[in-house]
Amino acid sequence: MSNETTIGPADPSGATAERLHIAGLHSPSDAVLSVRDLYVSFNSENGSVHAVRGVDFDLMPGKTLGIVGESGSGKSVTSLAIMGLLPSTAEISGSVRLKGQELLGLSDKAMCAYRGNDIAMVFQDPLSSLTPVYTVGAQITEALTIHNPGMSKPAKEARAVELLAMVGIPSPKNRLKAFPHEFSGGMRQRVMIAIAIANNPRVLIADEPTTALDVTIQAQVLEVLHTAQEETGAAVVMITHDLGVVAGIADDIMVMYAGKPVETGSVDDIYYNPRMPYTMGLLGAVPRVDVAEKSSLVPIDGIPPNLLHTPTGCSFAPRCPLVTDACLAGEPPLLPADGGAAHKAACIRSEELGGDVNVLEIFSAPPVPVSRFDAVPRGERSTVLELKDVRKHFPLTKGALLKRRIGTVKAVDGLSFDIREGECFSIVGESGSGKTTTLLEIMEFHKDQDGEVVIGGISNKQAVDAKAKGAMRREMQMVFQDPTGALDPRFTVYEVLSEPLQNAGMDKQAIRKRIMELMKLVGLQPDHVNRFPNQFSGGQRQRVGIARALAVNPKLVVLDEPVSALDVSVQAGVINLLDKLRAELGLSYLMVAHDLSVVRHISNRVAVMYLGKIVEIGEVDRVFGNPRHPYTRALLSAIPVPDPQFERTRERIILKGDLPSPLDAPKGCNFATRCPVFAALPAAKQEKCLTLEPPLEAVLPSPAVQALEAGPTAALDQQFACFFPDGELDEDMLVVHETADPHGP
Amino acid sequence: MLRYLAKRGITYVFMIFLTTSAGYFLAVSSLKPALLEQERIPRPTPEQVANSMRLKGLDPDLSPWERYVEWLTAIVTRWDWGRSPNGAFINAEFGERVWISTRLFLAAIILTLVIGVALGVYSAARQYKFQDRVITSYSYLAYIVPAPIAYFLVQLGAININETVGKRIFFVTGISTPGMAAGWAQFVDMLAHYAVPTIAITLVGWGSYQIAQRQYLLDNVNADFVRTARAKGLTRNQAISRHALRVSFIPVAQSIAFTIPAIFAGGFFAEKIFAWPGVGSWSIDAISLQDVNAATATLAYGSVIFAIGAILADFATTLVDPRVRVQ
Amino acid sequence: MTNLNTVDAAAVAQDAHLESADAVIAKSTIIFRRFMRNKTAVAGLAIFLALTLFSFVGGFFTPWNKETIDPFNIGMPPSGDHFLGTSQAGIDLYAMTVEGTRISILIGLIVGLVSVLIAAVYGCTMAYFGGKVDKVMLFVLEALIMMPALLVVAVATSGGGDTLKKNLPSWLLLIIVLLVFSWMGTARLIRSLSMSLMQRDFVKAAQYMGVPPRRIVWRHLVPNIGSLLVLDVTRGVTGAILAEVAFSFIGIGIKLPDVSLGVLIGGATSQVQTFPWMFWVPLTVMFLLTGSLAMMNDGLRDAFDPSSSSVGRAKKKSGQRTGK
Repeated sequence: MSNETTIGPADPSGATAERLHIAGLHSPSDAVLSVRDLYVSFNSENGSVHAVRGVDFDLMPGKTLGIVGESGSGKSVTSLAIMGLLPSTAEISGSVRLKGQELLGLSDKAMCAYRGNDIAMVFQDPLSSLTPVYTVGAQITEALTIHNPGMSKPAKEARAVELLAMVGIPSPKNRLKAFPHEFSGGMRQRVMIAIAIANNPRVLIADEPTTALDVTIQAQVLEVLHTAQEETGAAVVMITHDLGVVAGIADDIMVMYAGKPVETGSVDDIYYNPRMPYTMGLLGAVPRVDVAEKSSLVPIDGIPPNLLHTPTGCSFAPRCPLVTDACLAGEPPLLPADGGAAHKAACIRSEELGGDVNVLEIFSAPPVPVSRFDAVPRGERSTVLELKDVRKHFPLTKGALLKRRIGTVKAVDGLSFDIREGECFSIVGESGSGKTTTLLEIMEFHKDQDGEVVIGGISNKQAVDAKAKGAMRREMQMVFQDPTGALDPRFTVYEVLSEPLQNAGMDKQAIRKRIMELMKLVGLQPDHVNRFPNQFSGGQRQRVGIARALAVNPKLVVLDEPVSALDVSVQAGVINLLDKLRAELGLSYLMVAHDLSVVRHISNRVAVMYLGKIVEIGEVDRVFGNPRHPYTRALLSAIPVPDPQFERTRERIILKGDLPSPLDAPKGCNFATRCPVFAALPAAKQEKCLTLEPPLEAVLPSPAVQALEAGPTAALDQQFACFFPDGELDEDMLVVHETADPHGP
Repeated sequence: MLRYLAKRGITYVFMIFLTTSAGYFLAVSSLKPALLEQERIPRPTPEQVANSMRLKGLDPDLSPWERYVEWLTAIVTRWDWGRSPNGAFINAEFGERVWISTRLFLAAIILTLVIGVALGVYSAARQYKFQDRVITSYSYLAYIVPAPIAYFLVQLGAININETVGKRIFFVTGISTPGMAAGWAQFVDMLAHYAVPTIAITLVGWGSYQIAQRQYLLDNVNADFVRTARAKGLTRNQAISRHALRVSFIPVAQSIAFTIPAIFAGGFFAEKIFAWPGVGSWSIDAISLQDVNAATATLAYGSVIFAIGAILADFATTLVDPRVRVQ
Repeated sequence: MTNLNTVDAAAVAQDAHLESADAVIAKSTIIFRRFMRNKTAVAGLAIFLALTLFSFVGGFFTPWNKETIDPFNIGMPPSGDHFLGTSQAGIDLYAMTVEGTRISILIGLIVGLVSVLIAAVYGCTMAYFGGKVDKVMLFVLEALIMMPALLVVAVATSGGGDTLKKNLPSWLLLIIVLLVFSWMGTARLIRSLSMSLMQRDFVKAAQYMGVPPRRIVWRHLVPNIGSLLVLDVTRGVTGAILAEVAFSFIGIGIKLPDVSLGVLIGGATSQVQTFPWMFWVPLTVMFLLTGSLAMMNDGLRDAFDPSSSSVGRAKKKSGQRTGK
């Protein structure tokens, strides 16, 4: 049947589906959802955009299919086409059968009998997906009313309470009357899931359900989805760009590229034996949080093709390191790879790509760059940034005319750390932990700040005049999270890069020369300086942002989530670039990131923040390899790893609830309210956590090491703030899905 | 909620006080009723004029500040807004006219809002179809016609209808036929008088609401929450009417405050053109008669209308938007 | 990431050259081209320019002026002697229309331009200083919105004894009063727009580079609110012309002997039945004026709007280039 996918979009008639159906090739009779030959195109000003070009899959009851792809790969359009939610201008052809009933071609009204009933969907952005003017109770009961007109009001309310309880919303009865804005993002996504499973759907489609959420909340929501699937027995289609998220929960994976599935198979086939260079590249492009050994990431050059033109050859060919002339002659069909019928890849060279091929070699990943500072012991390197007891408290006031102070938000509360030459120091934590405020405090560099910030030997306490500030600005520059917002849309790249240089008082000739150097340094074509930011891809824009930060030769670069807005395949290139620049230019980085895998990959040292305080700090391999603070342990266990075997047997700590409001920060340990250790402690010991604030204490080497070293041993580079690091974890917060491996080799 | 509205109310009272005071100073320094008096025949002596003005509390020899203090004291202590140069009492005159104007404005504002919003929803639902194009073009046309000219054209149209039919259906001037006995006939007479001015104000006014409502609804038609509602099993039209519509009211409600002054000004023009004895035509006549106190009183009335509009907008916003309600 | 472009170095260089040529042409040219592509807008501009020209040189095509009375042609409909007829007093309507159009356009342009300037300065100041300054300035602004402009205009233009007013022609007085009451809406808009711009990362980046505030305002803020300013100028011009006509129509704006479209229209209302040309001619001119401005405004909005279809075409071109 895969041959069918080579039929061009010129012949995607309904007849194809009928023919297949008659020939008995359509679907296994027990599939709850089967999609054949799905083509979707949109008419735009510029011509037809072929967003989906031939998607086939069968979904068995209770199973999970992961659809993986980058933005623009057609994965979301596929899901919307199945739901019948595409705009009427979209041209859809092929076949979508739900329990044998054809859905394509049904009117909006006829489709309504299935939507929200047999087939339901959870969307990406929980903040905008709920109607702001109705209570969540009303929005849940609406889903019930539509499909059960006869249901009584108390019955509906009872069901709504039951649903909210099922998705883990505390005191569900009271929360029915709350409006969406009274919920956090994670809580709203739970409500979305409650709405989706209200009528016990057979198929649940989740489109990037956790992308907008923090890792700890992501773990909670994935857990809720798992519960929902168990409760309803629904089959799940999980759409994501994150290979880690689906590793543990999917049974089968479909990798999409440029609107087409390029590799499909069981989860183990895809992760351990990929047969398509794109899949291999994607897997190699993601850093892993559980691996200490450092190797470069696999960069996939170029950008996905323009879907306005039907590719004449393999759509991945322009980016593929293994491209041959044969690849350009016709799109390769999805053919069984590796003998097994279930595992298919759309690559003419898939037979050559066995499990033992070195991806790094294929994609010619650069060698791991070595900085000249790496060999120098940390203590001997000079300090480029030092924070001493920095605090940032916001008064929280109420009232319009007469302001009453009702409390203080301790966004940053007594922070001290230093960064040495040539090292990358990262701050991690959930949103609201104060990491971004910390960056802003450093960038503000103001003498009225509470606490001292010393940058390149210049203290904020002495920085009274513009000259001292100017000197400091040359020492430290910043790269922003959103590369689009950080570049003035009305500036050409040349203007963007010349701004800091002009400001430093360079003459025109020197500026021109420096800009050309910078373009080469960050891997951009020097000819492109006259382009506007919107003529670049996201990754290229971020390179421009990096070039701008490097323009005045700073010693320290502040990176605010430098890759979180980028696609996976592009991320790797930027991370490799940052690594290379650090080594070649002897830069130091201060990075804030929520992605702990990226942090582990490029940092030397790391600080974990919780409610404005550092709870654990130290060398990255020590902190991540042997986390002492329960919060660090929880964070690490929440990071999905693109390794199905590992994920399936992994023991997870699922924290309860959201980050508490910094307003009602408890007196003792901030983390006590959510701490898995605290929950399991006897009351006497709990008392200590509630009344005393744990100080940061150094980890001492184990007795065995101490014995070996003979003589006094220095404390290790790892400090943490917890009284009971070795305490038992609370059973309720531990989750293991020890499923017997169904796809054993 | 109530406390919030009360606070806003206090702010507006302060603002009304300021604008009215500023208006008084402007009026007192530019309007000189004494000059008009001197043109009367037989020409009075300047002493006679000054005397007569002094009796009415309009002493031209006092400085603006002294007159302001006097005027303000009278209002605060006795709620007495002073007298006109012709001797009439502002309170009495105003009291008679304010209801005429308010009735006209109220009817026009409600009609403008309802028709504008309804047409906005209707045209958004038929985006780029024939009906949408006609309605939206009309609104843009209304935007480039000055209000008084539009009223005048409506008046001409009404006269034409009357002439064609050969019977007086609409009254194009005045508020009622004198000497009408109370009862059904009087009610019909009132309707016939009200119809033309109300229709005129409404015809000109709804355009901006129609355009705004159409735009806001179109902005929300493809919102994520509408998609969620459809995913639950609502048809597209059900999802739009149950979810997008209510959300699109929020910015329209907020804009009420700033369109009420326009309707108010429109009402002034309308009174002038349809010869209604309301506050609007009175104020314009009074100003040409150099009447300081009447000018200030109508200015205060205008500010109060604006403040009421702003509070109504706040109230309407909290009604449709729960996010405001909680804070 | 760049291997796409290194496939053929020569082609890339050529490509880059084209691109840079594009960039050198500058935004203003691109906007101008997009505007010229919009037929309605171009027609609007042509009508507006023609009317302006007419108002300045139209007087040379007639021997009559707005003061001379033709005693032989009183209240005559259009004829060979008087293109557009004469008024009840025997004054040539064509001459009066030329004069009235000029005054109306003058009022529109001055009020439109200056009020946007005031709004820009006021709005940017509020956004830049924030805090207490912002609060006080916002209060003043709201108080001004609250004042019924109509009454203030009436008071100001019908004043009795002020020496100032005697020395000022009524159209200048009207301009001043309209200016005082016309900038608040735009100022509010500019304030909120600049405030959101101040929060944008590229402004923060410039601040963190140590670029002085003056330069940030000039290089980042002003160009980014520029399109709004241009749009508001055309809107302001339309608004001022409409306000002039409205006020003069009911007799509180411009007063004879000064002539404007509003005065002409207003003066003719009582004689629509007897001297219809006196009403319909200036009314038609006014419609042409406000209508052409509205058409231009529409075209300008499209030209500045980055999501308009014109950009779609531009994007396609660049897409094809990079896609090679």
